[in-house]
This record gives sequence, C-alpha cells and structure tokens, in this order.
Amino acid sequence: MNLILLSAIWGVVMMFSGLFLNSKSAAKTVALVGAVALLIGNLFDLSGKMIINSDFKGMLHYERFGLLFLTVLILALLIYILLSGKDVEAVGKHSFEYFALIFFVMSGAGLVALFNNLLILFIGIEIVSIPLYILTGSDKRNLKGNEAALKYFLMGSFSTGILLMGIAFLYGAAGSFQVERLAAITSDNFTAFTTVGIVMVMVALAFKVSAAPFHFWTPDVYDGAPTVFTSFMATIVKAAIFIGFLNLFTNAFAGKADTWKLTVAVITALTLFIGNITAVYQQSVKRMLAYSSIAQAGFMLFAVFAVNDLSKQGLLLYAAAYCFATIGIFAVLVKMKDYTFEGFNGLAKRQPLVAFVLTVCFLSLAGIPLTAGFFAKYYVLAAAVKTGTYLWLVIFAVLMAAVSVYYYFRVIQAMYFKDGEAQELEITAPFKALLVVVAAVVVVLGVYPSLLTNMLFFF
Amino acid sequence: MSDIPISHILFVSTALFFIGMYGLFTRRNMITMLMAIELILNSVNINFVVFNKYLYPDKLDGIFFTIFIVTIAAAEAAVAIAIIINLYRSHKSIDVEDATDMKY
Amino acid sequence: MIALLMILVPLIGGLVSFFLKQENKAKLWSFVVSLVSLAAISYSLVTGNEAGRSFSAEWLPQLGASFALKMDGASTLLCLLSALAYPVIFASTWKSTYASPNSFYGLMLLAQAGIVGVFLAADGLLFYFFWELALIPVYFLCSKWGGEKRIAVTFKFFIYTFIGSLLMLVGLLYMYFQTADGSFAMDSLYAVKLSGDQQTWLFWLFFIAFAIKMPVFPFHTWQPDAYEQSPTAVTMVLSALMVKMGLFAVVRWLLPLFPDAAVQFDNVVIGLSVIGMVYASIVAMQQDDLKRLIAYSSIAHIGLMSAALFVNNESGLQGAIIQFFSHGVNVLGMWIVVELIERKFGTRKMSELGGLAQKAPALTILLVIVALANVALPLTNAFIGEFLMFNGLFKFNVWYAAVGGLSIILSAIYTLRMIQKVFYGNENALTANNTDISFIEKAALAVIVVAIFVMGVYPSPVFNLTKDTASFILGIFK
Repeated sequence: MNLILLSAIWGVVMMFSGLFLNSKSAAKTVALVGAVALLIGNLFDLSGKMIINSDFKGMLHYERFGLLFLTVLILALLIYILLSGKDVEAVGKHSFEYFALIFFVMSGAGLVALFNNLLILFIGIEIVSIPLYILTGSDKRNLKGNEAALKYFLMGSFSTGILLMGIAFLYGAAGSFQVERLAAITSDNFTAFTTVGIVMVMVALAFKVSAAPFHFWTPDVYDGAPTVFTSFMATIVKAAIFIGFLNLFTNAFAGKADTWKLTVAVITALTLFIGNITAVYQQSVKRMLAYSSIAQAGFMLFAVFAVNDLSKQGLLLYAAAYCFATIGIFAVLVKMKDYTFEGFNGLAKRQPLVAFVLTVCFLSLAGIPLTAGFFAKYYVLAAAVKTGTYLWLVIFAVLMAAVSVYYYFRVIQAMYFKDGEAQELEITAPFKALLVVVAAVVVVLGVYPSLLTNMLFFF
Repeated sequence: MSDIPISHILFVSTALFFIGMYGLFTRRNMITMLMAIELILNSVNINFVVFNKYLYPDKLDGIFFTIFIVTIAAAEAAVAIAIIINLYRSHKSIDVEDATDMKY
Repeated sequence: MIALLMILVPLIGGLVSFFLKQENKAKLWSFVVSLVSLAAISYSLVTGNEAGRSFSAEWLPQLGASFALKMDGASTLLCLLSALAYPVIFASTWKSTYASPNSFYGLMLLAQAGIVGVFLAADGLLFYFFWELALIPVYFLCSKWGGEKRIAVTFKFFIYTFIGSLLMLVGLLYMYFQTADGSFAMDSLYAVKLSGDQQTWLFWLFFIAFAIKMPVFPFHTWQPDAYEQSPTAVTMVLSALMVKMGLFAVVRWLLPLFPDAAVQFDNVVIGLSVIGMVYASIVAMQQDDLKRLIAYSSIAHIGLMSAALFVNNESGLQGAIIQFFSHGVNVLGMWIVVELIERKFGTRKMSELGGLAQKAPALTILLVIVALANVALPLTNAFIGEFLMFNGLFKFNVWYAAVGGLSIILSAIYTLRMIQKVFYGNENALTANNTDISFIEKAALAVIVVAIFVMGVYPSPVFNLTKDTASFILGIFK
C-alpha cells in the first residue's frame, strides 16, 4: 500500500514542483528522491509496516511475491532514472510532467501486482496504460511519435474493451470480482461464461504484454515513441502487466487449466516464433529490441503457462534479468544518433567499457550462462518441463532462443569485430560506473540466482 | 422490466460490441473510431448491469463497476482527443490513412 | 584440491591477463600460468594423491546443483592433455603478434578454464555451465583474430553448438525432474530409471549436442571452415581440446545415462561415424590448403573414436580413451608445423610450397615424425589407440572395421602426399630464402615428439590411468 500511495502522491508532487522549480534539470533529482522514497516504502511494505494497513475488504492482497516483484521494478526504475533521467528531461519542455506520468504508472503497477479483485486489476491496467499513451506522443513535433501514440491508444483501448467484456462474463459466472470467488466457480451452468471470460481476459492481457498474434502494435509504438520511454515501456511496464497475468492465472484460473492451457501454449509458440524470426530482419537496433521484447515476452509466458512454484521464481528472475539488461542497452542507445547496426561499428575501440557492459547485457538477453538471463530462462523452462506435458513447446522455445542469438550477436559483432568510425557518445564517469553496476548485478544473478529467489521465502 | 428475458438484453449488448469492433476496424476517421471504442465500452456496461440485475440482484458490484468504466472511459477519451488534435495539427487531417509514417 | 586448481589457475590467470597491456608481459604471464597448471597436475600425478581428485562445494541448494568436480581416469588424462597443450601452444606461437594481446591471452586462458571445467564437472548444471562457457571465449577469439571470413564462419560454429547445447539443456531438465532427490548430481542422474521411449529421445537430445561438438558426420560442416578461419593458436585449442569435450561427454554422461538407448542405436552412431571417416578422408585428399587438410583428417580420426565408444567392448572403449590423448598431441604437432610454415611463407597452399627439406631440416624431421604418428605407425602413440579401436570395431562387426580401415590407407596417402609436396620437390621463389625454425619452436615441437614416442613405446601408465573409466562404463552395460 505504501508504494501505491507514495507513487500517486509523488506524481502530484512532481507536477507541482514543475510549477515552483524553475530549473528544468531539477526534475531528475526530484524524481530520484521519489524513487528512493518508493523503495523505502516498499521495503516497509515487505516487513508489513504500512501507512494505511488495510486490504480494502480483500480487494488487495499483500503477497510476498507481488511485493518482491515490485521491489525489482522499483530498483529497475531507480536505475532507469539514474541512467536515462537526463534524456527524459531532453524529450521536451515538460520534464516534470514526464516523470509525474512515470510515477503514476508505478502506482498502477502496484495495483496490478497486488490485486485480489478484477476491479483493481482493471483500474491498475488503465492507470498503467493511459499515461503511456501520453508518453508515447510526448515528443509533439515528431510525426512518428504522434502516430505511434494514436496506434497505441486505439489498440490499447480496444484490448481494454475485450478485457472488460471478459470480466463481465466472469462476473456473470461468479457473481463477484473477488479472485477467490472466481477460483471457486464450479457450477456447470456457467461453463460457457467462464470459458469465454477466461479467453477474453487472456486475449486482452496478451495484447498488453504484446504476445503474438496481438503484437502488431508493439514494433511501431516502440519504434515511434521517444527512445527513453520505449525503454520504460518495454521493461518495467511489460513486467508489471506480466505479474498481473501470472497472479490472475495462478490464483483464479489454475483449477481450470484445461480450458486455457492449449491456447496459452499456442500463443507462447507464436510469440516466440514471430518475435524471433522478425527480429532477425531488422536493420535498426531500436526496432530489433522491440521485436526482441516480443520474443522475451514469449519466454515470460512460460511462467503463465506452467503456473507452479517455479514459475513465480522464474518470472521474478526473468523480470529482473530482462529489465536490467534492457534498460542498460537502451540507456546507451538513447545517446547514439545512428540506431542502425552499423552505428555500433567499432564501438569497442572507442568505448571499451560501454561495449563490455552492452555485451554482458546482450549475452544476458540471449540467455548465455553466467548471466542472469540464463537462470531466468532456466527457471521458466524448468517450470514448463515440470508440468510434464507440452515438451515440444520447450524444445521449440530453445530453438527460438538459438535464433535470438543471431540478432543479439549482430550488435556484439558490430562493436568488436567490425571497423568503423564509432559515434561520439557523451558519457560521463558516473554513467559508466552505473553501467558497471548493472553488468555486475546481471553477472551476480547469473551465478547466484538464489540471492533473489530466496527472498520469496526468507527475508 | 423483468418480463424481458436476459437473452434479449445480452443480444443487444453483444450486437453493440460487434458494431463497435466493426466500426473500429473499418472506419478511417479518428473521431468515429473513438466513438466505436465508446460503443464497445458501453456494451460492456450493459452486460455488467444486466448480470447484476438478473443474476445477483442482492448486491451492487456490477453497477459500481460500470461507474468506474464510465470514469476511465472519460479519461481515455480526453487523452485520445489530445492525441488526435496533435495529429491534426501536423497532418491537417484526422484520417488514419494519412498517418502512415511508419512501415510495418 | 587439484581438481579445483585446474580450473582456478587459468581462470584467475586469464582475468589478470586482461590488465597486462604490454604484449610481452601478457605473453609471458600466460605462459607462466599455463606452466603452473601443468606443474600442478604433474605433481598430483606423481604423488598419486587420490583425495584431491574430487571437490564439492555448495552452489545452489534450492536447485539441487552443487559445484562438484570429479577426476576419474579419462578426465585426468584430458586435464593433463590440456595442461600440456597450452604451454606448447603459447611457445609455438611465441613469434606471432596479435592486436590487443592482453585480451587474446586472457580469452585463451578463460577458454582453458571452461574446457577443463567440462572435463571435471560432476554435476549436470555445472557441466552445462562450463560447456557453454568454454564456447564464449573461443567465439571471441575466432571472430576477432581470425581470417577473412571469420565473422560468418565463427557465427555458424557458435549457432551450431548453441542449438546442440540448448537441446541438451532440455534433456537435462527432464532428467532432473526424474531424479529421486531433485538433484543435478552425477550420481543422482545416473540412478534415474528411464523407460525405453524416454531413453530414446533423451539420448538423441544429448547425442546431437555432443555430435555437433565432436563433430560426427553429418554435423561436421562448421568444422573445416572454423579451423581454417581461426588463428592457428585457437585452431589448436579447438581441435586438440574442444572436440574432446564432445567425446568425453559421451563417456561421462551419454553412455552411463542411457545405456539401453546406446545399445539400441549403436549401429546408427557407428554407421555415421564410419561414413564420416571415409568421407572426410576422401575430401582430405583433394585439399590444397594445409589447414583444411588437417581439419578433414581430424574429422576422420574423431569418427573412429566416436565409433569405438559405442562398440561396447573393452578394447574399443579403452582404445578410444587413450586416443583422446594421442590425437590431441598429434594434431597439435600438425598445427604447429602449419603455423610455422604460414608465418614464414605467408601461405598454406601446398601447391605454392616445396623443397623445404634442404633449408629447414629440423622442421622436416619433426614434421615427418608427427605425420607418421598421424598415420598411426607402430612405435608412435596413435598406433596403440587405433589398434585397440579397430580391434573393438572388428569384434563388433567385421564390415565396419573393413570400411573404416579404408580410411587408414587413405590417411597414409594424403599425409605422405603432403610431406612430399611441402618438403620435397623443387624450391621456388617463395621457399628459396628460408631459414630453419628457432629454438623455442624446436622446443615446442620436441615436446610433442617426445610425447609421441614415450607413449608409443611405454603406454602402460596411460592404460592404468584410464582403466577405471573403461571398466565403469562396461560395468553399466553388463
């Protein structure tokens, strides 16, 4: 609760400080203070000390998994603000408002992570989505950005409609929006309602996490949005929706697995296939990362597919591995002028440290051992293997992981093995130090993933 | 009112839902598309109210939900119109066909 | 302790090497590091300390994975091979210069750590870790310092092996969930009882991973290109050590985990291997590039070893394990000669060379010995292994031995043709102004030659060393 309250309040604080603080560059500092406050608030959440200690008649559910997941998201936000804060300010005139919207999104993420009632899930998803439409179009003179905002809005509200329709049917079957009541639907009278409801909710959430075949908005939106906000959307927001997805299917629909298991399996396979194969053909690294985020969503869907104890640990680790690595990559990408693969040529000579950190991040995304990405993939795949069925899906997934190596390594090849005039990057010493921290976290989680997963059980 | 069977009302709401979907996919005017989305949301509202009234009349869950939907739909519309105005400024048009700076 | 040291020494040495900016320092440092691991394993072999042969530390208890290392006969032999190979590689390429030498030598040592880790790991997940980790430094080495087409070729190699190892990971995960105590430990995995169907498909998941690495026909297509395009020092690591990862993995993991499937599919595997032997020998005869010739000849030799691993009798198995070492030594010798020739003349084409024998007698003598060992002449190390393997193959099925024997004849043909073309014949403009090799290069080759003869004449220590592995595998099949 601390987190949800604090981030909502801090969003308002950000807007007002924009009025009273004249210096534009103060935005990053104020945001940083807010992020630290969120982190502290979240740690209090974890130890059970809350400003308002109420679960609102069971509508919120302070589960350790959700709270810990939020910790990961806040850490990612902290890194994001530290690495890319200056670039957020550079997007346009309203730097304070951009951060305010980001904080509102965090508040929505808190609701999505802790919901125990479909109403909260719906409100949370909307609070996450609406600020994003604005952020996407925040660079007002950029035509691509405007177009992306429009597409995002149309697709987003369309999927909201489907989500609501699904919720309506589930309500018809259960007579309540409480998750426990949904899990307890047994009456045979409502089989059709339940099935239609589950499928519609699934489709809507698949839209939001950009799973195929509902992914088509993703590349355009991620490509058109200002790169700093792409970084935010592709990582923190996507992970936040995923925890809602996983929690809903674990707590409410786990007992009706036979109605959705096959569909999720097909969606997973399609997502992996389309994401990976299309990413191979991209010429722009930014667009490649958009497709790669689709492909990574395919792996995260394995957690939803498996719904067992391993999938929680897996999604937690996956979110951490994916967010940290992607934020690191985007933070460097924002500073480049040329987004093509050739733009990375010869970067290792000019900026050996940055190239090294990027390499670690890309290796992590590809799932090479000794990086967090390996254990993330390991856990979600293990969760799927543990179910004992659909082994073809796991084998298909690892083949697609091999495909993903192709496009991630193109960047590494460009940086290390191809000669070229690397671009001038304005990189400061603290930025470098922070990149090293990101790489270190990725490697440490790659050797001892239990540092994170153990927190689910002990503190 | 309870003379009308539930299936009739569900038929209306379903029809509205698909009209909305059809509009969203065929219309090229952004304002019309926005209206189509509102249509979808309103069909959902009808569903909520009907389920509440016919199946679970002792509580008001569904009706409250519609209030939330209406509120959020208003917020969404505000953002949408801002985006559309911005696009109109740059393109001098509110036809989505004109907003094709990006290739798939 | 020795098991842990074998990994730690190159690992730490390699990391330190990245910070040695001067070429000489990096070179000397990595040479010293490689000598240290050679000294360590020699000391342990001489003192025969059994206690240090296995090591275990807690790693990820929730996953049932631990940092467990175990040195049995075969892995000791392969550790010895890698410890021996590295100083020789560094010495023989002493005169080569590399751009950013600190990274080059650092990556070389990291590759050693990964490869030795594969030979030692006694835990499924740890094994997978090292299996992949050995690949990453080699990928960077080949793509950065290799020939013209290096990027594409190395990438093909990388993708190939990566696909294989991911398939293995799926198999490994499946096995893990079958274990009684939810553990990746080697003994728990060995203890799993699988049905026939499960064994079949798990066998193939693992086998493809190993077959790509060895490489067995038809998974060999990455290999000649990769050998040709890599810098020779890396080619030595690839062919002397990395291919042994696949063969060794068959001994340690594939055969004990899926004995029934191994018997069921022995004809398929041996058939593929024998086809590969003959095919590679025929292709080798048509090569003009020395590196490609040796690459194909290496495929032929590997084919024999992989066939012998599946014959399910003692002589075949033991012959193959001994040949791990002999092949490593011999192929190393061949690559050194190629490296010396290429550095002196700037070409590897046999058609452009000739008449080296008069100008470089020492090089010639050493090469002839190595080449004869490659053909498996009696008194050389390869003779023992190949004899045993053919013996095993003969016991299994006469026809396989007969067809495989063809490759021995072919190998004699192309090896002798190579000697003739490169060292005899007429001098040409390129080779006329030539001097003999320097002291350190002689020393490196001399080590190889000594190893060839010592093992050829007095092989019993190696027999004793590897007996336990062979009898363990045979015990499983009974």
